[in-house]
Amino acid sequence: MPILKAGELDLISHSAEQTHRLGQRLGALLRPGDVICLSGELAAGKTVFSSGIGDGWGAAEPVVSPTYTLVHQHRREADDAMLYHLDCYRLIGPDDADSIEFDDLIDSSAVLVIEWPERIEARLPRERLWIHLRTVDATHRALSFVPNGMRYFGLVEQFRTRVLGD
Amino acid sequence: MSIILGIETSCDETAAAVIIDGQRIASNVVASQIDLHAQYGGVYPEVASRAHVEAIDPVVRQALTDAALSIDRLDAIAVTRGPGLVGSLLVGISYAKGLALMSGKPLLGINHLEGHIYSLWLTQPLQEANFPVVVLIVSGGHTELVLMRGHGVYERLGGTLDDAAGEAFDKVGRVLGLPFPGGPNIQRTAEAGQADAYQFPRAKRDQSFDFSFSGLKTAVLREVTRTSPKGPHGEKGVTLKEGVSVADAAASFQAALVDALVEKTVRAAQTYDANEILLAGGVSANALLRTQIKNTAQLPVRYPPLNLCTDNAAMIAAAAHHRFAAGQRDSIAFDVLPTWPLSRLSHAPLDA
Repeated sequence: MPILKAGELDLISHSAEQTHRLGQRLGALLRPGDVICLSGELAAGKTVFSSGIGDGWGAAEPVVSPTYTLVHQHRREADDAMLYHLDCYRLIGPDDADSIEFDDLIDSSAVLVIEWPERIEARLPRERLWIHLRTVDATHRALSFVPNGMRYFGLVEQFRTRVLGD
Repeated sequence: MSIILGIETSCDETAAAVIIDGQRIASNVVASQIDLHAQYGGVYPEVASRAHVEAIDPVVRQALTDAALSIDRLDAIAVTRGPGLVGSLLVGISYAKGLALMSGKPLLGINHLEGHIYSLWLTQPLQEANFPVVVLIVSGGHTELVLMRGHGVYERLGGTLDDAAGEAFDKVGRVLGLPFPGGPNIQRTAEAGQADAYQFPRAKRDQSFDFSFSGLKTAVLREVTRTSPKGPHGEKGVTLKEGVSVADAAASFQAALVDALVEKTVRAAQTYDANEILLAGGVSANALLRTQIKNTAQLPVRYPPLNLCTDNAAMIAAAAHHRFAAGQRDSIAFDVLPTWPLSRLSHAPLDA
């Protein structure tokens, strides 16, 4: 009896710096249209992980908390690719997703990194990588990767290899 | 001479103002949605957009009435193009475009952060900046250290790597059970507390001019809250520990955050031989920040009057004055820019 479901991955990060580096490794593997959902309570490390994703992906400017404007747009110099970083905490229900033109973002073939995705779960594409971050203690965070769809099973496998080796 | 109508709807204030020569306030109208959003503990975008739609026309009319001017006396119409909430920005932009089309007046799309900087030019009597100056823009959405060598010439020295200072105030306020917005409520609560009750982490201890407030937020959460695991993923039910003094926690948090802002800002001013330090944005209303930076810096420190720290349209028209004088005119078809860092502004010096 396997402990994890097939394709899932659980990791413990020992520091904010390590959470950032894990994000970097994932960011480097992302392709246009990828949807990454980051759930977890206040101070669980969602923005630190997102910031790592931005670095690894190649964002021209640092990826910081999008809480205030809900959506930050990031561009990659090399190929003009786009990454949208969302904070859905203040979207009360799925209909509120219209106020940030969510469907346009989904159709834009940009990478989407979504904090508080549970607020708009009904509007999320079925295929996505869901990562839950949990506070263990002052410095440690538990990260659970749950892929949905072939692309994301492959992505988690690639990520596992990059982080843990073969 | 220029007479410019400014319109600002980037977040939760619907605002319009008429400014003469980028410095004299002929009118300044702000319809705040704070009461509307306080019940939710934050600015909710759908609620904000609807409120802007209702308020924009009466607010602009009031600004023109207060200035005792008709539209045909205006030289230009300026509107916040970004950064901000896309739904909120669009209300102001659409209205401004309609007004520009109808009146035939030139239209300018203004950066909200540049607007905050130009709130410093609205004090009477006008004090022209003694360039170069270091500007700290601190608000709910932004924490930026900028070196300004002249009008329209900005060099970003650093900024937050995670939460904005005002956002940290809001999030910690929520944890402490204080009402929204966090800034003024934490300041008020802190007055009865001991700033050394908790030793919260200070500035990022490095030579950069970047800020990080997520570690501070985590430390406050750890010190004052108890976790009661629940839910399938073990999400925390956050409750205050017994015996925690909210006033002490608020005072200690505020002291740590202000220390970080002051240390980096003063060091930036020394490093770049600035002649002055300018503060702008909602958090620049914080009394401890104002006092401490004045006591620490060996330089003149200036900040806007309280009513111009938070979002307003006077600052948008003031920023537009310099761009208008330098010849900027924007197409009626310009796009909203929800993400628009100062670094993406044109850096041609503006002679005004």
